[in-house]
Amino acid sequence: MLTIALSKGRMQDDALALFARAGAAVAESELNSRRLVISTTDGRYNFVLVKPGDVPTYVEYGVADAGVCGRDVLMESRADVHEPLDLKFGRCKIAVAGKREVLGEDYNLLATVRVGTKYPRIATDYFHAKGVPIEVIALSGSVELAPLLGLSDRIVDLVETGQTLKENGLEVIDVITESTARLIVNRASFHLKRVEVSDLITSLSRAVGSAQESEAP
Amino acid sequence: MSSLTKIPAGVQYFFDDEVKLRRYVERRAMEVFAGWSYDEIILPMFDYHDLFARGMGEEKAERTYRFVDRDGALLALRPELTSLVARTVATRFIRRERPVRLCYSGEVFRYDEPTERAAREFHQLGVEQIGEPGIVADIEVLLVAAEVLAALGLNGFRIALSHVDFFNGVADFLKLESRGRARLREMIDRRNSIAVEEFLQTHAELVEESRRADFSRLIQIAGKQDVIRRAREILINERSLAAVDHLDRIYSTLESLGLGENFDVDLGDAGGLEYYTGLTFKVYAPGCGAEIGGGGRYDNLIANFGEPEPAVGFSIALDGLVGAISMNDDKLRWRGDGEVQTISFDGDAARAFEQARRIREHGKKVKIGAK
Repeated sequence: MLTIALSKGRMQDDALALFARAGAAVAESELNSRRLVISTTDGRYNFVLVKPGDVPTYVEYGVADAGVCGRDVLMESRADVHEPLDLKFGRCKIAVAGKREVLGEDYNLLATVRVGTKYPRIATDYFHAKGVPIEVIALSGSVELAPLLGLSDRIVDLVETGQTLKENGLEVIDVITESTARLIVNRASFHLKRVEVSDLITSLSRAVGSAQESEAP
Repeated sequence: MSSLTKIPAGVQYFFDDEVKLRRYVERRAMEVFAGWSYDEIILPMFDYHDLFARGMGEEKAERTYRFVDRDGALLALRPELTSLVARTVATRFIRRERPVRLCYSGEVFRYDEPTERAAREFHQLGVEQIGEPGIVADIEVLLVAAEVLAALGLNGFRIALSHVDFFNGVADFLKLESRGRARLREMIDRRNSIAVEEFLQTHAELVEESRRADFSRLIQIAGKQDVIRRAREILINERSLAAVDHLDRIYSTLESLGLGENFDVDLGDAGGLEYYTGLTFKVYAPGCGAEIGGGGRYDNLIANFGEPEPAVGFSIALDGLVGAISMNDDKLRWRGDGEVQTISFDGDAARAFEQARRIREHGKKVKIGAK
């Protein structure tokens, strides 16, 4: 039996649906319960439901053998784990956004850009790669407010449709990277539970493939 | 801040059962090393910083704790033990018969990754075999590592085998410059097969698509003979194929010794390329979320200190073994307390100690109890 950490919330349903397509479904009664540990009916997987940002931690420490989380979370955590599969759901972008008036990529290289974000590491790496000095202002929500109130010049945040940005008079200035849900695997479980992990990777890989096909027009 | 309650990050105190377990593990491992004719070498706690920079490279030597000698020379607490062994063999063991077999047990000190949880002080147990270039030495050290784990009752252990030339051959074939190499290596190391496939699309356009897809799956999953077989079908460069042959010979021997279950072939392990020159391996024990040890062949190291000589070795973290045992082993063999005879002290010190010494003469354990 493998223990798998899943992100509570946004991605949880998609992840469970994918597992169900891969032949490992969770009983309806368990789904409707408020338990934080649920198992598939075939007894192959135990799911632990944790905060999205904690998924890489559970997997890196080996408390969970594998996990499903967004690439954004994975990049930010820098967890030392395997990431064998792109599960192709939960698609969004990690983007730099700012106010219309201060658009443009030609940052004044001498000035420090203040960046409000939930992703301090991704933001730092991005601006440093461009040689732009920044001051990171770590926020945990309503990041769009920061430029409006003058707390920051830019924000780095997840963008799904761009609607929230637009309504707040902000625009995407640059897309840092695309993010989708990833399967991540603990480095030790990869060997200690090799057969189960191989089976997990191949069956999810197949389920992702069939989902892609059925979506294609 | 009170230094009475606060202790520096990454250091540890051990007491009670933990000490007994640690000493037991160390003793058992050293017995196994001695059983394979590895002689213990006791190494200095610190040496010149330059020595470690030569041995493990400038970058890693940056992570040492450094201080200056009274003459102003830069010293470092030992961050690893292999460089010290290599220097000793290259300079002071010149006339000894080869191969030289040495083993060690001791603490090393380094800032590892900048994470809060990382220990800064580790106890390592390991062996080095110097002077023997062939596959026999590779297999020998693998068997020594396997016996240590089995001797400690960790029968569910896995040792994952890889070879640096698997990756090097592919990188050469694709004519990658250093940045491309680093990128591909990182993707392979994370088993990110999608990224590998995309990378190959742009860097290996001339290779058929199906072969690229097969390659990206090859690094995704570890295995046994099946991995070796698939690798032979997919690879088209000589260097990687020779690496696979080498792994095949090692794995087949291990399998014929009945150890197939404990060993994996893992072509997705692309670590330690700067240091190792052939076989590499990592050791995993049930209950531990990360590798607890590793090793391989490093034929270029000794030349940093003298004449070039082939060498192979490994080290295992004592903390990793202890962690695994406390999770898996409930027999508590390591306690080995033995019976204690308590002497109650009734005011006559001479008599009490006379009795106590008699018990000690019989090699028994004694405790002077208060009345």
